[in-house]
Amino acid sequence: MRVISVVSALAALAMSATAFATDKPELRIGSVVAMTGPASALGLPEKNALELLQEQIAKDTNLPFTVKFITYDDASDPTKAVNNVRKLITEDQVHVVICCSTTPTSMAILETVTQAKVPNISLALGQSVIEPVKDRHWIFKTPSTDQLQVSGLVDDMVKRGIKKVAFLGLEDSFGEGGWIALQSVAKAKGVEIVASERFSRTDTNFTPQALKVRQSNPGAVYIHAIPPSSALVHQALKRVGYSGPIYHSGGSANNAFISIGKQDVEGALLGTTPVLVYTDLPDSNPLKPVIAKFAALYEKRFNVPKVDIFPGQSWDAGNIALKAAEEVVKAGGKLDDLDASRAALRDKIEGIKEFVGVGGIFNYSPTDHLGLDQRSTFISVVKNGEFRLYESK
Amino acid sequence: MIDTVLFLLVDGLTNGLVYALLALSLVLVFTVTRVVNIAQGEYVMLGALTLADLLQGRMPGTLYLLIGGLVLCIVLDAGRWRRDWRQALLYTTGLIVAGVAALALTRCALALHLPVIGMMLVALILVAPLGALIYRFTVHPIPNATTIVFVIISVGVSMSLQGVALLIWGANPYPVDPIAAGGLMMGPVFIPYQSFAILITALLAMGGLYVFSEFTLLGKALQASAMNRLGAQFCGIPVNMTGALAFLLAAAFSAVSGMLLAPLITANYEMGFMVGLKGFVGGAMGGLIDYPLSLVGVMIVGGLESTSAYVASAYRDVLVFSLLIPILLWRNTRSRVEARR
Repeated sequence: MRVISVVSALAALAMSATAFATDKPELRIGSVVAMTGPASALGLPEKNALELLQEQIAKDTNLPFTVKFITYDDASDPTKAVNNVRKLITEDQVHVVICCSTTPTSMAILETVTQAKVPNISLALGQSVIEPVKDRHWIFKTPSTDQLQVSGLVDDMVKRGIKKVAFLGLEDSFGEGGWIALQSVAKAKGVEIVASERFSRTDTNFTPQALKVRQSNPGAVYIHAIPPSSALVHQALKRVGYSGPIYHSGGSANNAFISIGKQDVEGALLGTTPVLVYTDLPDSNPLKPVIAKFAALYEKRFNVPKVDIFPGQSWDAGNIALKAAEEVVKAGGKLDDLDASRAALRDKIEGIKEFVGVGGIFNYSPTDHLGLDQRSTFISVVKNGEFRLYESK
Repeated sequence: MIDTVLFLLVDGLTNGLVYALLALSLVLVFTVTRVVNIAQGEYVMLGALTLADLLQGRMPGTLYLLIGGLVLCIVLDAGRWRRDWRQALLYTTGLIVAGVAALALTRCALALHLPVIGMMLVALILVAPLGALIYRFTVHPIPNATTIVFVIISVGVSMSLQGVALLIWGANPYPVDPIAAGGLMMGPVFIPYQSFAILITALLAMGGLYVFSEFTLLGKALQASAMNRLGAQFCGIPVNMTGALAFLLAAAFSAVSGMLLAPLITANYEMGFMVGLKGFVGGAMGGLIDYPLSLVGVMIVGGLESTSAYVASAYRDVLVFSLLIPILLWRNTRSRVEARR
C-alpha cells in the first residue's frame, strides 16, 4: 500500500514537473565541436564547457524558457560538420548553432547556416569566418583573432620605439594567418618588416632561419607558431646571439611552451586572451570576476589544475545565445515560431553590447561580428617559468 | 660571415649524421629483404617517445605495442601446435618470457632512475624488437611479393604506427634531457654537447655494423642474404631469420637516431616521417645498396638543408626533395654505363 502511494506521489510530481516545463517555451541550442580527431584538444574542452553551462542553467529557474542542448562530434572533419549542422537545423530544429572548433570546419558550414537562415556562433580563430560581414550575415564568433593580438603586440613595439620587426612563422595556414595579420598591422602602425622566414613543425633545425633573422638587424622578432617549434625557434635565436625582445602569438601561450623552452624563453612576450592572466588583472577590471567564477566552476567540475582558453570560447558562445534568447522573449518573440525566432535571435546577438564574457568584452554590431577590442587582448610575459601579465592596460 | 658558414656547417653535419643512421637502416633493410621501408622514420619517433617516457618516470607506451605484438605472434603461430607441439610450446614460452623480461627490465630501470645513457639502452631494447615484429606481420607472410607491394605496405605501417603513437602519447611534444647538458663555445659558434654525442654515437653505430657483418657468423649470413637471397637459402641460411634481424637492427639504428635527436627538437608523434624521408633521399644516392655513397648522400642532404633554410627558408624542403631528381638521373646514367661494359 505504501509502495503504491509513494509511486503515485512520484508520478504526480513527475506530471507536475512536465506540466511546469511545458508552460515555458523551449530554446534549442545545437553545437558541433571536434570531440575527436586532430582538433580534439580544442573540441573536448569546448564540449565540457557546454556541458557545464547546461548543468548551471538547469538550476536557474529565472529563465523565461527551458533550454535543450544538442551536441554532436565532427571528428575535425568539414564534411561531417556540414552533415551534423544540417541534422541540427532540420531534424533537431535548433534555434541557434554553435559550430565549429576550427577554421576549416567553420568555413565549410557557412553555406548551410546561411541558406537555412540560422544564426551560428563559431569557435574558430580565423577572421575569414566572419569577414566580409555582409556575406556573413548569420555568423558570429567568440575567440579573438590574429589581427587583434598582433595589433596589441605591435603597439607595444611602437611604444618601445622599435622600427623594424622580423617575422618567423610556420609554413602552414596557421603561420600564413599570422603573416597576413602582421603585414597589415605593421604597415598601419609604421613598423617595417625586415625579414620573413618559414619553418615547419617537423623541422629538425631552426638555426639557419634564426641566423638570417639576426643578420637583418631587427628591433624585435615576432614568432607565429605553436610549441614545440615556437619554443625551439626561440632557443635558436638565443643560440645565434640575438638578444632583443621576442614576441609570440597566442598559439604559444600554453604550458608546453615553457616546459620545452625552459630558461631560454624567460622574458618571451605573448599575445593572449584574458583567461591566461586573469589572476594578475587589477580587481577593477570587469573581466576578472567573470573569469574567476568560470575558472572555479570548470576546474572543480572537470578536475583540471588550470583552465585554458578553449572552454571559455564555447562558454561565451552559449551565454551569448542565452542572453539573446532572453532578449527575444522579453521583446515578445515566440520561440515556437522557428523561422521568426531564428531571425530575431540573430538580430539580438548583433545587438549585444558590453557583454562581459570569459574571452573578453563583446560589442557586436552590423559591421563587427567579432565584437572584441583591445580591452580583451593582453600581453603576457614568461617570468620564473610562469605566464604573468606584462602590463596592465 | 664566417660564423654563419660555421653555424650552417655544424648544423648540417649534425643533421647529416642523424640522417646517416636512417640511411644505414634503409640500406640494410633493402639489401637483405628488398623492402623500401618508408616506415623507417617511425622508429625514430618510437625511440624518442620511449626515452621521453622513461626519463619522466612513466611506463613507456611502447610496452603495449611490444606485448601486443608478441601476443599477436603467438596467435599467428597457432597452426604450429598441430604440426609440432614441442616446438610450438618452446616458441610460445620464449615469447612470453621475452614479454615478461621486457616488463621487468622497464620496472627495474624506472625504480633505479638510471642516467640518460642507461635509459637509452632500455628504450633501445624495447623498440628494436618492434622492427622484427613488423617484419613478422608484414613481410614474412608474403616473401615473394614485388618491391612495389612492400612499398605500399610500408606506407600503411607508417600511417598505422603514427596513429597508434597519437593514441598512446597524444599530440603533445615531450621535452627530453640531453646526454650532457650545455655546450662548447668554438670561436663564434655555440655547439651543444648533444651534437658531439650524435657524432660519436653515429660513428660507433657504423663501426659496430661493419664489425658485426664482417666478423660474425650472423653478420656474414646477413651479407649473404643481401648478395643473393636464393643462393643463401641453398646454403642453409634461414633467410626469414636474417630478414627479421635486418629489420631489428634497422629499427635499433633509427631508434638511436631518434633518441639523439629528441633533446634538440623534443619528441612528438609526427617527428619521424620527415626524418625518414630525408634519410631516404640520402640513401637514394647509393641506390639504397651502397653504404659509403649513402653517407655522402645524407651529408649533402644535411648541408643543403641547412644552407637552403638560410638562403630561402620557405623553399628548403622543396630544394632537399628536388635533389632526388639529379640523384636519380645520375644513378641512371651510371647504371647504363655499367650495363654497356
